[in-house]
Amino acid sequence: MGSVQKRVHEVQDDLLSAIDYCYEQGWTDGLPVVPPERSRVEAMLGMEGRPPETVIATHPATGLELSIHAAAVNAVMAGCLPEYFPVVVAAMEAMDKKPFTFHGSTASTGGSAPLLIVSGPVVDEIGMNSGANLFGPGNRANATIGRAVRLIILNVFRMTPGIADKSTQGHPGKFSFCIAERGDVNPWPGLNEDLGYGPDISCVVTFAGAGFCNVENHGAGDAEGILLSVADSMANLGCITLGQSVVVLSPEHAGIIANDGWSKQRVQEFLFEHARRSVADMQEAGKYMTREHERQGRDDMHRGLGPEDILITVGGGDAGGHSAFIPSWSRGRSSIMQHQAIGVCIDC
Amino acid sequence: MELIDPTVEGAEQNRSRAPAISDLHGLTIGLLSNGKANADHLIGKTADLLVERFGGRRLDVLYKKHPSEPAPGELLTNLCHECDYLITAAGD
Repeated sequence: MGSVQKRVHEVQDDLLSAIDYCYEQGWTDGLPVVPPERSRVEAMLGMEGRPPETVIATHPATGLELSIHAAAVNAVMAGCLPEYFPVVVAAMEAMDKKPFTFHGSTASTGGSAPLLIVSGPVVDEIGMNSGANLFGPGNRANATIGRAVRLIILNVFRMTPGIADKSTQGHPGKFSFCIAERGDVNPWPGLNEDLGYGPDISCVVTFAGAGFCNVENHGAGDAEGILLSVADSMANLGCITLGQSVVVLSPEHAGIIANDGWSKQRVQEFLFEHARRSVADMQEAGKYMTREHERQGRDDMHRGLGPEDILITVGGGDAGGHSAFIPSWSRGRSSIMQHQAIGVCIDC
Repeated sequence: MELIDPTVEGAEQNRSRAPAISDLHGLTIGLLSNGKANADHLIGKTADLLVERFGGRRLDVLYKKHPSEPAPGELLTNLCHECDYLITAAGD
């Protein structure tokens, strides 16, 4: 447990001046922030049962520590309401787990952004959006929870763009990349159940995600047609690397697939078998890594090691044959998605 | 208005450089690649030049599991016993 450094800045009692002051201090992501005024920070801390000095994440390279207090300050600045704070805390705890590879995924030229997928009853309890415009904009919870994570990465862990964060092209998700799993039309168990938390416990999955690939298919009326489109997106020569995958099926696509009697597991198995490129293709594109790919022992390559490396979730508006594939960061399976229960200790 | 600072103080780290090697003649060179393409070529060629100039020998190239992860402590400990100095590189 570290010490809380409550360094206080006395500023003019004027909101616009305070916003300007935050810019001058370099505390923003480029957009205006809510000035981290004391009473707002205290309200945020009121949602955590543990002492403010509790360390919930540590930078593996620099040793910089994230306390609950520092997380609360940045959550205020992002625009979070206090009831969002347990999601921010859980996300940071998940990202702190070693297989997530926090430093690499936030520093790399690959330029990933931590995608947060929230599943379970907290989605409705705090008013998250799992429907139309799932990836934004328009919903305060989604936008500010994701933004709080970014402000923590910038202000606490000092992953400053161009200095410690060397992303070649950046990522729009580096402003905010937070979605909620849709429960009402999901034909399969939610992620919270898949991950062993049960239907009454909420969780957040964190995934070092690269660029967002829209999978359009309005013509296929069956599971195979839709999933072959998804598989092709997963195996294009630009996106294919070694790593995990997130597939966010739209309600329309998920409904067609489930009506054909497919389970989530069958979807994963189908994608694992069909989202592939031949060794020859990989070699021709200069993307075949002998030591890594030979371990798969096949003539064709999938991104992951097995069907379980493909996370399937459901989200988006009722209308539209638009799903999304999000590849993992890194060409070499360097970050593994992590998950954490949300707020389960508040009542302990 | 009182604003709470959103940053934290840096952690104190007790790190120091190893003493410089005064004479490279006859030493054993360890090689550790970060695993990216061309890293082993870079460190291998460098080691060959050093052996040509100063004698000694080079060990086989070892690899980190992932470029973005620190080298395992056991690997580094073993290398300490097997070589006099180590060349590592982040080739790409």
